[in-house]
Amino acid sequence: MNSDDPLATESFQQLVVEPRLPEVLRFLGYPKGVFPPDPMKQSIEQVLTRALPGLEPRGTFSIYAVRAHTRRSLALGSETIAGNIGEFLHGASRVAVLVVTAGRGITELSTEAWGAGDSLAGWAFDAIGSWAAEAAADALTQQISSHLGADEGLTLRYSPGYCGMDLSQQRTIFGLTRPGSIGVSLLPSLLMQPMKSVSGLVGLGPRELVGVNLSPCDRCLQIGCHMRR
Amino acid sequence: MHDFSKLQEAVLAGNSAAAVAAARQALSEGADPLDLVLHGISPAMAEVGRLFEAGDYFVPELLISARATKEVFVLIRPLLAKQGAQPTGRVVLGTVQGDLHDIGKNLVAALLEGGGFEVIDLGVSVSPEKFIAAVADKKAQIVGLSALLTTTLPAMKTTLDAFRSAGLRDRVKVMIGGAPVTQSFADTIGADGYGENAASAVQLARRLVGV
Ligand code: B12
Repeated sequence: MNSDDPLATESFQQLVVEPRLPEVLRFLGYPKGVFPPDPMKQSIEQVLTRALPGLEPRGTFSIYAVRAHTRRSLALGSETIAGNIGEFLHGASRVAVLVVTAGRGITELSTEAWGAGDSLAGWAFDAIGSWAAEAAADALTQQISSHLGADEGLTLRYSPGYCGMDLSQQRTIFGLTRPGSIGVSLLPSLLMQPMKSVSGLVGLGPRELVGVNLSPCDRCLQIGCHMRR
Repeated sequence: MHDFSKLQEAVLAGNSAAAVAAARQALSEGADPLDLVLHGISPAMAEVGRLFEAGDYFVPELLISARATKEVFVLIRPLLAKQGAQPTGRVVLGTVQGDLHDIGKNLVAALLEGGGFEVIDLGVSVSPEKFIAAVADKKAQIVGLSALLTTTLPAMKTTLDAFRSAGLRDRVKVMIGGAPVTQSFADTIGADGYGENAASAVQLARRLVGV
């Protein structure tokens, strides 16, 4: 085995995501703990039921040994990722590079609903797709945790485009993993297709070095974001 | 003056069928279509906007109210046209070239229509040439550009530059928006305005057409 090769690569064509209304409502724009009254709640629940067959949550990851790191860089396989990610993942001995998607079906449902003039359903399908992409990332992270040794833990998940890494690092991420196996491609504008896709890194390492209960939002400057945790 | 409270209640509740029924009834009782807009649905939509700003309404409520208003407009637009009244304004809207994110633009379109604007939605990944052709063809007063990522922001500048080269920049107001857009970016590229969300996009569009 070449030392640049991943330690493991796995793809999942059917990740399990379980929609829970309170989480979906947050993606629709409702603050935590706010529930719309009926009939709005019923309308949203109906869209959710219609959305489920449209979800195709898939994911892939490759785990690499950390070759080297500084505060501003992280060397994995034959690539070097630039950004504060070096500091954020400093406790990790291995790093999983991941890409997930909720599939294109949910965006098609949204587009159809907008086209038919049903803006509420259009918005709700879109929000469900966003939720499903995040949920797929959580489900894949769960799979990654099966690669942890005794007394090891996972870091938080970090994505290009947030403060740890510039969006340009999308290319590096795509070079280190196999998004093609789950039908995700990267456009020249660095946008992933299908739209409801997420890429990122999660570190594996000794629990005392990685397992801090931070929220990724603690590192983000978008103070007004309605998704702030 | 006619009492438009039933119509307004229906708009606030986002009940399209009730709003259209109330509008029909008002018209059959002799209400003037322009009055119905100015004193019926406009104040109701202003209240919807206020409730959104105040955190009592959220995007879904905004959308169903805007839809109710849009359906009333479908009913009264021919009557308004007969009286010679124009739509509030005509907006060409699209997501810039290279970007495929359409939900932000869709929300803006829905609320603009609820505000009485005529919207020509060009979709996603729209080239500067397509924006220019649509503005010229439809005689739009406003063009709205949307983007999701910092990597597609430069396409906003390219689009504006293309309007300048085509000699059309003075004929149209340009408003921009999307998650990575800021007022200072709008100033830097010389846009006429930036809207943080769909509700403020409507206020901005009204200001740009001077109503
Ligand atoms: C939900 C979400 C997702 C979802 C869905 C994404 C999608 N496009 O469908 C998921 C989880 C899949 C996702 C993925 C990613 N995301 Co994301 N995401 C968000 C989030 C939380 C909300 C976006 C959204 O849909 N909002 C709802 C819509 C309606 O809002 P909107 O598009 O902004 O439009 C409103 C306004 O901007 C305005 N507006 C929009 N257009 C216009 C036009 C005019 C003329 C006017 C006046 C106003 C206006 O009005 C609209 C309605 O109110 C934002 C953060 C935020 N709070 O904005 C990040 C955000 C957009 N994402 C971001 C990033 C980085 C990503 C990823 C690259 C991360 C990754 N590496 O995986 C990927 C990219 C996905 C891809 N396909 O390539 C960054 C982008 C920043 C940047 N560097 O460019 C943001 C800003 C988060 C951040 N860093 O703070 N994301």
